[in-house]
Amino acid sequence: MTDFTWLIGGEAGFGIMTTGLVFSKIAARSGYHIFDYFEYPSLIRGGHNACEAHVSDVEVSYLSPTIDVLVCLNKETYEKHRARLTPKSLVVFDQDEFEIKEDVKKIVVPFKKILSDLKGQPVMKNTIALGASIGLLKGDINELIKIISEQFAKKGENVINFNKQFVQAGFDAINKNHSGSILNYLVKKSDGEKLVLTGNDAFSLGSVIADARVYVAYPMTPSSTVLTDLAAWQEKVGIVVRHAEDEISVINTAIGSSFAGVRSAVGTSGGGFALMVESVSFSGITEIPIVVFIAQRPGPATGMPTWTEQGDLLFSVFSGHGEFPKIILAPGDNEEMIELAAKAYNLADIYQMPVIVMSDMYLSESHKSVSKKFVDDFIANYKVNRGKLFGQDKISKIKSKKYLRYKIEDDGISERLIPGTPGYFYQANSYEHVEDGHTTEEAQPRIDQVDKRARKWTTYLKNDFATPKIYGDLDKSEIVFVSWGSTKGIVLQAQKLLKSKGTNSAFIHFNHMYPLDKEKILSLFKQNKKYILVENNSWGQFGKLLTMETGFQIKEKILRYDGRPITPEQIVSKL
Amino acid sequence: MSTIQDFSGYDPTWCPGCGDWGIGIAIKQSLIQLGLSPSSVAVVFGIGCSGNMNDFLNAYAIHSLHGRAIPNAIGIKIANHKLPVIAIVGDGDCYGEGGNHLLHACRGNHDITIIVHDNGVYGLTTGQSAPTAQKGFKSKSTPSGILETPINPLTLTITSGATFVAQSFAGDALHTISMIKAGIEHKGFSVINILQPCVTFNKINTYQYYLQRVYKLDENYQKNDFKTAVQKSLEINEEKFPLGVIYQTEKPSYTDQLPQLKETTLTDKKRFTEFEKITKLFI
Repeated sequence: MTDFTWLIGGEAGFGIMTTGLVFSKIAARSGYHIFDYFEYPSLIRGGHNACEAHVSDVEVSYLSPTIDVLVCLNKETYEKHRARLTPKSLVVFDQDEFEIKEDVKKIVVPFKKILSDLKGQPVMKNTIALGASIGLLKGDINELIKIISEQFAKKGENVINFNKQFVQAGFDAINKNHSGSILNYLVKKSDGEKLVLTGNDAFSLGSVIADARVYVAYPMTPSSTVLTDLAAWQEKVGIVVRHAEDEISVINTAIGSSFAGVRSAVGTSGGGFALMVESVSFSGITEIPIVVFIAQRPGPATGMPTWTEQGDLLFSVFSGHGEFPKIILAPGDNEEMIELAAKAYNLADIYQMPVIVMSDMYLSESHKSVSKKFVDDFIANYKVNRGKLFGQDKISKIKSKKYLRYKIEDDGISERLIPGTPGYFYQANSYEHVEDGHTTEEAQPRIDQVDKRARKWTTYLKNDFATPKIYGDLDKSEIVFVSWGSTKGIVLQAQKLLKSKGTNSAFIHFNHMYPLDKEKILSLFKQNKKYILVENNSWGQFGKLLTMETGFQIKEKILRYDGRPITPEQIVSKL
Repeated sequence: MSTIQDFSGYDPTWCPGCGDWGIGIAIKQSLIQLGLSPSSVAVVFGIGCSGNMNDFLNAYAIHSLHGRAIPNAIGIKIANHKLPVIAIVGDGDCYGEGGNHLLHACRGNHDITIIVHDNGVYGLTTGQSAPTAQKGFKSKSTPSGILETPINPLTLTITSGATFVAQSFAGDALHTISMIKAGIEHKGFSVINILQPCVTFNKINTYQYYLQRVYKLDENYQKNDFKTAVQKSLEINEEKFPLGVIYQTEKPSYTDQLPQLKETTLTDKKRFTEFEKITKLFI
């Protein structure tokens, strides 16, 4: 059985990230599941970058405590990560660059000599390291060569051939000098085709599936790759991507395009979202649909830009002044990200309110393999639901019908009208308004509109709220974990570790975060069990939200807020 | 053809003698003369006395937040670039709260028209000084006189990339109509700064004040020459107010430069369904 962790590290600015992705893609193309994670400081040059890929026969979305193959492009990589080595681990490095005194399994690859012999640039060390890694893990070198060829396709045959030499040199160095150490971990096998996606890629893909036509953003780690993905695809897909001057402009551009009739989204992290919240409230009262993607990082303020945290849940719940409904979703992994991103656009249109999709650096920037069949099936079954649109079904009858944008309805949802429709007009008003949109300061219309907007929540809870998924047997387990969003895969693994020690546990995982249906949720919390809250923050924010919405309090908490993801071992050790 | 009645919503609540009355009429007349109807134009209102026109002018409209009318207007234009889009804003709204948006909208040459009511004060919040108030202007928020020098909206927009910058005076409705029409007809980012007395809170920049200091550009004025325009725009620093198109040039607008909008608007395009083109990137 294959289940190993490969880690490559080196100086920032030398292509570690790309190298990690290539490795993950080779593993996925060879029939394995992958989950990778990048560690990097908030700077472009200098400092330490590392990418670790967890490769397995089965689906994974957590990091392993140990490293099986450590590829050191510099000494710092070895120093920083050697604590995670086991006696069986292999350490790839170049003796001409630094020495390792400790008794570890040394796999010497002459990076320096190869570079000098073949007249390569320093960045090509990565290519040698990939060749060596594939050799060491008995992978298919042709897959690597294919990827290199795809990468440099635009630069021509000469560049491709030049790079191939470095792949081969790394590969040969292993087969010549270390054939006894070769592991059968990456032997090619047939398994369904897989996509290698980050959470941000998954959000971008979900947006395209959902027919989003405008995406506006200002770069902010760790959300920026949604901007760069969609910008790269915009002509192909026919979406317009605007990199606006600030986050205030970002959300207001998207509100404008949504008003005009197209699905629109914005993306940012906590700090950028802080600038947007006035317009979350604006979307609330004008009932203009908007999808907001938030990739969290540790705050407050600039915080730790390239690390992870789930610290903005309550901020999102309470974002925007005044009282208005909103929906918050927090996918647990890439599959859920594709589903919930696409669902967010439907919810925004159906309920005409802001819908926030929450991620964090751990989910947003880690690659996880997703079965292509899952994606294809999802695409085939997804239906765009624009919600209530005025006159769309009976164009001919439209002329005789009076239009009221904010008509009082039992379900709280009034029909929208696409601007430009002949014979009509209306205003979307940020002031309180009467049914036709004109401003009012009268008491009764104010009450009517507040109540109407609030009824949209009731309708949502009835029709589209999804209760949390339960993993394990809730009735038979004494220990019940409760978590939300990106901690899903970590808690699932903790459950497996416990099971191997003979302890059964159950796990309630929330991804429809707000609002919560009190009755449905409380039914899961009635029994006298040991509930343990697992969150990547210091306040136990979901615990507070749960208490606020249902009255139930979880006393035991496993929290981590040092910028690093929680690990399954950490959970088990704290029981 | 539409009538004044078609464009008229509630009766305005502006103070008697307010410059907004003249601007309100001029906007309706301009839309009528351009053959537009309330169904064929999108208008975004800022917050302020000017923005209160939301209830008095019929159109597909957003009554936005303070300062945010421009990005809303840009969004509408991106979604439906065939729809004329106008932002009706005040000086505090556009040059203060939304100043950054104005700057970058100029750079983007977004094909929208910005009609600024420039009266030097915040009327709706009872008379604090605005970014165009002259240095030393005494108001409730600046009882000893404002310390900052005023924004020069003409120089600012011309040098930031706006392709149409005009100035008119609310006391001259016919001239204002001609400027608004020219601005809407211009393909690209157009700004019309309308000098407007606030009869309630600004006792300095009165009708009399402006009548003594405004003058119309003559026919020989070279509005397409950038340096001439910058030079001309600087005159307002000396309290001389040229009226007319100060600067106009032709450049591709933001939406003109988007290949994905060549065939049709985003609102009218068919849903993208060739998902293999995207999923293959991840294999």
